Amino acid sequence: MKHANRAGIYFLVPAVLIIAFVLLFPIIQTVVLSFGRNSTSIFIGYEYAGLANYQRLLKTPRFITSLNNTIIFTAVTVPLELLLGIALALILNRRFRGKGLVRMAVLFPWALPTALNALMWRWMFNTEFGLFNSMLTDTGLALERVNWLGAIPSSMLAMMFVSIWKTSSFMALLLLAGLQTIPSDLYEAGSVDGTNRLTEFRFITLPLLRPAILVSVLLRTMDAMRTFELPFNLTDGGPLTSTETLSLYAYRAIFQYVNFNLGSSAILIQFIIIMSISVIYILIIRRGDA
Amino acid sequence: MILGTARATTAPRERDRASFHSRKQASAGFYILAAITVVLSFFPTIWIFLTSIKTEADIYAWPVQYLPDPVTLENYFNIITETPELLLYIFNSFIVATTTTAVILACGGLAAYSLGRLTWRGRNLVLILILAVSMFPPLALLPSLFSMFLELRLINTYPGLVIGHTGLYIPIAIWILTNFFKSVPSEIEDAARVDGASSLRIFWSIILPLSVPGLISTGLIVFIFSWNEFPLSLVIMSDNFMRTAPVGISLFPGEYSFPWEIITAATMLTILPILIISGVFQDRLIGGLTAGSGK
Repeated sequence: MKHANRAGIYFLVPAVLIIAFVLLFPIIQTVVLSFGRNSTSIFIGYEYAGLANYQRLLKTPRFITSLNNTIIFTAVTVPLELLLGIALALILNRRFRGKGLVRMAVLFPWALPTALNALMWRWMFNTEFGLFNSMLTDTGLALERVNWLGAIPSSMLAMMFVSIWKTSSFMALLLLAGLQTIPSDLYEAGSVDGTNRLTEFRFITLPLLRPAILVSVLLRTMDAMRTFELPFNLTDGGPLTSTETLSLYAYRAIFQYVNFNLGSSAILIQFIIIMSISVIYILIIRRGDA
Repeated sequence: MILGTARATTAPRERDRASFHSRKQASAGFYILAAITVVLSFFPTIWIFLTSIKTEADIYAWPVQYLPDPVTLENYFNIITETPELLLYIFNSFIVATTTTAVILACGGLAAYSLGRLTWRGRNLVLILILAVSMFPPLALLPSLFSMFLELRLINTYPGLVIGHTGLYIPIAIWILTNFFKSVPSEIEDAARVDGASSLRIFWSIILPLSVPGLISTGLIVFIFSWNEFPLSLVIMSDNFMRTAPVGISLFPGEYSFPWEIITAATMLTILPILIISGVFQDRLIGGLTAGSGK
């Protein structure tokens, strides 16, 4: 037993080294940088500045706007994704002819690169030659072409739409795993008691799916809070900064305005918000288990 | 945990369940919903494909020409002759994604074996710590990784991005693989241990061959993640000839104009592997994702 013990720890060494180098150390450095000024490294010329960056951020309207954008984006997309995800998972949980195709249809949006997907939609939302404007004017639903991505609030709505399109499928996959843990005897017992589709869903499926729902909502919330590629490629954060997310703001602070310290504090504020939300969710999950 | 372990144990139940439900015939309404799902899911890709096989004049036409007439492959040929750097981006993505997958399966596989099958104190704590670290937003790494990699001359190198991607995705790979390794029956392993085989030997000749399905699932998921990864690739590969496909195509447009005929063709080439993988290996991908989702 002792032999296995020591080998077990040796086996971890490569993975732990990589994680320490790529995740652990950089995160610590980002924390330290967020309290610094004019410094890009904690080893060379680090200057401590206390909470100056945080104070400056909270007084910067553009940062507050990006924070608001991120919260609105998350609050709208995650619940809608959950509803669509449940519907898709219920479809996938049944046996029917052609299921393979539907399963691929659910998997495919998840597997697409978000950055390129955003470009694909950007082309479809194009004002002059885009598919959507063409369909709308052809059917008479719109009289003239709409500048979807160049106007407020349509560009934010477009971004939400694309996000819901892409990530409902991820929700569905997580929920499907939850659906498959529900024992079939419950449904059989239910049918003896005269359940119909609706009462079956309300009184059997939904309560037993609750843990899976909470987990998938938690993962998606964390993900939506750090949306980056979507505004980067779909809207450039515009018009003005109306679709600039926290991540895009932090990226621009770091690499366009070359202020590593300010950008690091923006990322940390984002991280603190994500962590607080996660803790609240986990408390809800715990309470449900007790 | 709840979801991951349950999937393995309820496989037979799922069958009962399906047969129970299939006694109720799937209605027409159900098939219409399923059909809408399929259409909505594929139509952006179909539209991009149709655009990519139109002539430039037809792409920029109003009213929009829905079907390509004539059908042409000139946009694809133009990539080869005029903008071959787009092919280089795809090649770079391929190098980075395959190497990342290999490194993650090797290092992550060893770690998952240790965490899933060997008994030592603190292994659950280590697993939780690994997962916790992976919860940090990837953007939090950017400023530090950039200045570190600059110092270490890893910017604009394959090893630099491979190390970065390995760090990003090894936690999720360890998590999925640990669940897979736990499901390998322990009798064979015990017998080999009685015969005096070392842990490394057991890992190599018993656990690995039995875990091939899990390794394939994990490998495919990691490959897709690395192929699609954006922020880190954007920052670490800033040289035009080192860019990966998602970044290279995104930055390809100049400041003002979008050459959609080239962008749509290059996008089709880049998502082709993803399309094939999600069609051919759907069982493996869904198996891996559901095993990894029970955080």
